[in-house]
Amino acid sequence: MSDLLQLVFSGLANGAVYGLVALGFVAVFSVREIVNLAQGEYSALAGLSAISAVAAGLPLLLACCLVVPLVVLVAVAIERVVIAPVKRMTPLISIILTLGISTVLKAVMLLIWGPQARGLGPFPGRDFLLGGVSIRSQELWILGTAAVVGTAVVWFYEHTLRGKTLRACAEQPVAARLVGISPRTASMVAFGIAGFVGAVAGVVSSPIYFSSWSSGLALGLKGFVAATLGGLVSLRVALMGGLVLGVLENLVAGYVDTGYRDAVAFLVLVLVLLVRPQGLVLQPKALRV
Amino acid sequence: MARRMWTFAAATAVLALGLAGCAEDTPSSSGSAGGASGSQAGPIKIGAVLDITGAGASLGVPERKTLQMLAKRLNDSGGVNGRQIELTIEDDQSTEDAAARAASKLLQTENVDVLLGASRTGPSLAMRPIAEQAKKPMISLAANAAIIDGATWVFKTAQNDRVVVEKMVDDMSAKGYHKIALARDSSSFGEGVAELFTELGADKGIKVTAVQKFDPDASDFTAQMVNIRDAKPDAVVIWGIPPAASLAQQAFRRVGPKVPVYQSHGIGNQVFLDAAGSSADGLLAPLGRMLVADQLSADDPQREVVTKFISDYKAAYGENPSAFAGYAYDAFTIATNALKEAGTDPNKLREAIQGVSDWPGVSGVFTMTPENHSGLSKDAMVMVTVKDGQWKLADSATS
Repeated sequence: MSDLLQLVFSGLANGAVYGLVALGFVAVFSVREIVNLAQGEYSALAGLSAISAVAAGLPLLLACCLVVPLVVLVAVAIERVVIAPVKRMTPLISIILTLGISTVLKAVMLLIWGPQARGLGPFPGRDFLLGGVSIRSQELWILGTAAVVGTAVVWFYEHTLRGKTLRACAEQPVAARLVGISPRTASMVAFGIAGFVGAVAGVVSSPIYFSSWSSGLALGLKGFVAATLGGLVSLRVALMGGLVLGVLENLVAGYVDTGYRDAVAFLVLVLVLLVRPQGLVLQPKALRV
Repeated sequence: MARRMWTFAAATAVLALGLAGCAEDTPSSSGSAGGASGSQAGPIKIGAVLDITGAGASLGVPERKTLQMLAKRLNDSGGVNGRQIELTIEDDQSTEDAAARAASKLLQTENVDVLLGASRTGPSLAMRPIAEQAKKPMISLAANAAIIDGATWVFKTAQNDRVVVEKMVDDMSAKGYHKIALARDSSSFGEGVAELFTELGADKGIKVTAVQKFDPDASDFTAQMVNIRDAKPDAVVIWGIPPAASLAQQAFRRVGPKVPVYQSHGIGNQVFLDAAGSSADGLLAPLGRMLVADQLSADDPQREVVTKFISDYKAAYGENPSAFAGYAYDAFTIATNALKEAGTDPNKLREAIQGVSDWPGVSGVFTMTPENHSGLSKDAMVMVTVKDGQWKLADSATS
């Protein structure tokens, strides 16, 4: 029994990171219909920058608080320079562009930080045992951060005027413009949020899952799979999807074979695309968000 | 909806391709001295294939530094028999196919005289048939004995996994451990390790009761370690390279009972200690003498070469060399010594490498023979433990 709980708990922490990354996919897709393949790179960039900031002498939490807005700026700047100038965005162009961004970011990170994986120092707190389950304080940080950030993003999209205008842009771009909503701003905000959740995921996960120039790839893939569970438009389902995927991976690794861990994500993806490409949202005509 | 499906499918394909390929090219660095190439005059060409990016990065990077330092030093002092060394280093991205491509390129296009690498077993195995076919000497820096078993042209400098397991089994049997559980790297580095323990432990009543695998780039090890814990072993063996080996060490110390942990010789670098932190305290690992150079006795045959290598490396890069840097030192020095003795004729060169006898290197005292292309016995290792983030000679029950 304590095995099961242990596997589920550490899977939840892992899954919370996927869930945060998945929020980033949804944040962009629900506004621009772009699958942002550079989503995972925001996390790697944030993790590595935080490691450098700490090495330069900044206190850990301050470094994290500085790095997150920095990555948001990078994400928005990339949107301005690369995404915004494209007049007619087709799925093909968006994929090529975001793949290009991802490749450039990885190359830059490789040049700056070199090829080795590194971890940020652990956040304050003590690891402890609860009913035979070992709980790392960092895992609690991850779960707590994911809960706070996830709630904030959902609340922003569903309950604030600004969030609603984002959805309006996605539903009816022409009508939104007619009533004075700027698609330009909407796109910037969407990418900013994607950068924000990606960066948060990057800094909280770095102490136990490590950061390297290439760590964004696997993270992006898992986040994408979690996001497809919500049809790439539901924030709530994407966050839940991340948690489910994390737990499922750990259960498969524990009870079946560790070699199949990474196959879980692909299997889930294939099943979702075959059976319910609109995602697991219950109403067949789900509103975006 | 059709459009969205299309986006999904395309994005999926791209991500999957990315994961499978990781097709980043990193600039390969090439060392000094240009000029005309010819087989008997002009520079001597040494090619190296290393795991500079990807899962083996913590091995390949110090190896590259070592080779560059040694080549520069040798060229500054006049080269080999008056000929300069031209060193070309390729990155195999820690993958088998890239290692094979790089080996073919070095042997066929660049026409190198000696091939060094790769850093890990899998890529080295992929290079072996290419070197055998080209009939040029190759010296691998990796562990698994399969790289050299029955080979004519392939040698290696890292201690064979077999002698590492022998060393561990001796220690376990002296301490009275019988049930051991193994968590091993799922790549070729970990292949055959469980079988070796079963074979070598049979006489001493040592049995492997559980085997778990992990990917060299995995990040969460809880599942494996829970299964290891449930096997209730007397001792645990973790067989991998950092950072995976460090994370596995942490994970076991977190969920597992307080039983001794043995690690392989794959952990001989600072990256392991940094990433494992305090969880590394008290582990046992058979490692080369370099990591405990300051604790060696004055009459140790390796003391001089090891001390000099450490001070040279520190002067050049401001950090301590890892055991992997040592493998690169041995490979490069064995190759250049043989070149000095025999020139660049492949057959004579191979004979010269095969003739290495009682030569004190950084990883041990080498004696190659036509049958033994590894040259190191279990005496090349000492049991090392970790105390307060430092390597310490363990009070070996066997020594």
